[in-house]
Amino acid sequence: MSVIEINNLTKYYGKARGIIDVSFSVNEGEIFGFIGPNGAGKSTTIRILLALIYPTSGSASIFGKDCIAEGPEIRREIGYLPSEVFYYDNMRVIDLLQYSASFYKNIDKNRIYKLAEIMDLDLNRKIEDLSYGNKKKVGIVQGLLHQPRLIILDEPTSGLDPLMQQKFFDLIHEENKNGATVLFSSHILSEVQKLCSRVTIIKEGRIISIEDINALKRNNYKKFIIDMDEAVSEDYFNIEGVADLAVDKTTFTFLFKGDINQMIDKIHGKRLNNLRIEEPALEEIFMHYYEKEE
Amino acid sequence: MNIFAQELKMSAISMIYWTTALILLVFVFMFMYPPISKDIAVFESILNNFPISLRRALGITTLDLSEVLGFYGFIFVYILLIGSVYAMKSGISVLSEEIRSKTADFLLVKPVSRSTIVNAKILSVLTNLGIQNILFITLSCLIVNAYKQDSLDAAALVLINASLIQVQLFFVALGLFLSVVIKKIKTVLPITLGVVFAFFVIQLLNQSLDDPKLAYITPFAYFDVGQIIQNSSYDFSFLVTNFVIITVLTVLTYLIYQRQDIPSL
Repeated sequence: MSVIEINNLTKYYGKARGIIDVSFSVNEGEIFGFIGPNGAGKSTTIRILLALIYPTSGSASIFGKDCIAEGPEIRREIGYLPSEVFYYDNMRVIDLLQYSASFYKNIDKNRIYKLAEIMDLDLNRKIEDLSYGNKKKVGIVQGLLHQPRLIILDEPTSGLDPLMQQKFFDLIHEENKNGATVLFSSHILSEVQKLCSRVTIIKEGRIISIEDINALKRNNYKKFIIDMDEAVSEDYFNIEGVADLAVDKTTFTFLFKGDINQMIDKIHGKRLNNLRIEEPALEEIFMHYYEKEE
Repeated sequence: MNIFAQELKMSAISMIYWTTALILLVFVFMFMYPPISKDIAVFESILNNFPISLRRALGITTLDLSEVLGFYGFIFVYILLIGSVYAMKSGISVLSEEIRSKTADFLLVKPVSRSTIVNAKILSVLTNLGIQNILFITLSCLIVNAYKQDSLDAAALVLINASLIQVQLFFVALGLFLSVVIKKIKTVLPITLGVVFAFFVIQLLNQSLDDPKLAYITPFAYFDVGQIIQNSSYDFSFLVTNFVIITVLTVLTYLIYQRQDIPSL
């Protein structure tokens, strides 16, 4: 069953492009990555899901209900963490969290304290006295305190130190294990790689592709780094299936997709200084996608 | 209910300051009443040297300044002015503050509809105005009463004071409307002062020119103190005008806010 269903969603801000014809769906229980460079339309899509903005055309539904028409009802089950968090400056953290909790029914009040302890958050301080990272922690706690069935994260890790990022990821994993579906938007691919099972790639307002993350990595792309001991022509390795070929003096670096024996044949009989064959990072695969589309 | 309580908490102190200012103003102005009424002939002869259009603009041609009610009517214009600034400021900021302080992303993703938010916020403004006016009317009536010489038209005094909230409601509605029409309001006070003073200047012109059409443009003309003292009643057509304008602006506010894109951070 899909939790989020987006159909041909288009948003223009006046004449400026927001997103064009975006369609994808997120299944129940998965952690779904939403990847793209800044300004690609990730936040626009998310803000429509939350009915903060209205689509120009197309539709989006969550739990089978229309995001705009039945927004208030849907949002009972959504936890949202934006990339930048702002709260009422002269409130104390605990007051803000209790205010946030007051919007939901049947809240387990102990959860505030439990989450705050995990995130190492001082509840008695005033919001205006908090550092950016600490405000972010407030955001995490207020986004999760009502045990949402759908968690929407829009570039959530900025401002968190690596230790807190890890705790945050653990928390998201935990929520996911307990049944929450997660939509995770980011331009940092390594975090998506760590967390998500499927990803969709958005660029300049359009969805480029939707992939299973393992399939994507398994997609037979291998990264070759070959240091030659004898001179070969620059396009010696430029055969069918090679991408992103870079030559630095005697070192050839490229991605290869195809029959591995073909490449072994090319290397066979040549003298090498060094040879490495790696799993490419997602980043490199994506860069390849971006370029292909251009 | 939680939004309403939160709004009240955030706006209570400001309301108390403004209410105190209003009452202090009455106190200070009325303090000057005994010396002025004693030498009223001198005072009026000074005023009579002003050109008639200026005297009309100040609203003193229809008021008897030697009477306590007439004098109060003369100073009440400034009470209205300050009360209106407060009302307009509240109206403009109550919805736009969430966007200005970038907390819209917090509030609007909660499981509440936009109209619930507008309801709660308008109700908080009305509550503040209600408390302010109860305090103001009570204390102001007490102060004015303390200065009465023989008799005082209590009904007229209450009617004058009760016109404050009606003018304030006009500016709340206008402020709400402007706050959803103008995109990205950075600071509230300049717009507030600009608009309120513009209406005030129109009122000065109106009194000076005595143009019956001009009076409909500015709420400051709707509750003419001279007339209230004379008739002990409001002018019905202005009462209706005010009501219609407030209703239309409020309905538009709901409609526009309902369909508005919340700008991202």
